[in-house]
Amino acid sequence: MPVRSDPTITLQSISVLSDGGSHEGRLVLVGKDLVAVFAKVTAEEAEENAGSRRQTGGWFLEAGFGPCSILMTVSPSVFPTLDQALDWVRERLEAGVG
Amino acid sequence: MLNPLVLKLEQRDRLSEVEKRVLENAISRVRVVEADEDIVHEGERPSESSLLLDGFAARYKIFSSGRRQITAIHVPGDFVDLHSFLLKTLDHGVLALTPCRVAVVPHAALERITDEHPHLARLLWLTTLIDGAIHREWLTAMGRLSATAHLAHFICELFLRLQTVGRTDGDTFQLPLTQAELGDTLGLSTVHVNRVLQELRKEGLIRWQGDSLTILDRGRLEKVGEFTPTYLSLQNEHR
Repeated sequence: MPVRSDPTITLQSISVLSDGGSHEGRLVLVGKDLVAVFAKVTAEEAEENAGSRRQTGGWFLEAGFGPCSILMTVSPSVFPTLDQALDWVRERLEAGVG
Repeated sequence: MLNPLVLKLEQRDRLSEVEKRVLENAISRVRVVEADEDIVHEGERPSESSLLLDGFAARYKIFSSGRRQITAIHVPGDFVDLHSFLLKTLDHGVLALTPCRVAVVPHAALERITDEHPHLARLLWLTTLIDGAIHREWLTAMGRLSATAHLAHFICELFLRLQTVGRTDGDTFQLPLTQAELGDTLGLSTVHVNRVLQELRKEGLIRWQGDSLTILDRGRLEKVGEFTPTYLSLQNEHR
């Protein structure tokens, strides 16, 4: 399905429940459609346990829809910043669902 | 040297002294592979197979995006590429996850075993059948279990496989995998790996400190992971 070339992306703050607690999150909308839910994961949370490989905190794609759905793309790594997360959303919109 | 392959086979059938000696003598040399180095490369045509004596190794494939899927974790006693004896070209790489000590067995020695020691040949065949059974189990776990259940299943399996070769201490074993490696094994993001670990911890099922993993409640962990060890063919019988 073709997506218009200059979609209006808007963000809405939302609290997301994970790891037994509330996490800062964002709904990402294109026009009136929800395309992604990101939640903030902290460095401490990501670093705790399992092995020594360190991971920095950032924004994690909790759910994606349409071109951001895991039906269409492999789920991305944690994005260090929200801007980088939105760049990814834009890339996905340009790639369309194909 | 107590060959962990002997332990692995003796769990499942009786080995004669001659057969044990034949296995020892099949080893041409022992090499050490550093962590994060390939034991065997994808696409290689080895003239020898590698038997893991110490350490953890992984069979893996890498996609064009650089994403990696680990399709098997190998523990001491596993012949990581016994199948290269007959398949010739290896369709996947085998990576040392930790420093590994590897016994090298020339394919010519394997051919002699199949010619002269049919029972031993059947037991080596059995190990590849078990590898196949583990692949089937992993496929179904990855496709149809929740991530938490999948990790529980993985821990239950690894515990039994390590116990067979004497690498457990009570309910504790060394699991020197990073979160990223575990993610590549389970097909999960590192964030999700972290969350399911937290869940198993919170439920009081495991403790994981450093490289040391302790199963706190095996019965419940097996229940959560829907784990039944039939596919590991652990019973001792004539084969």
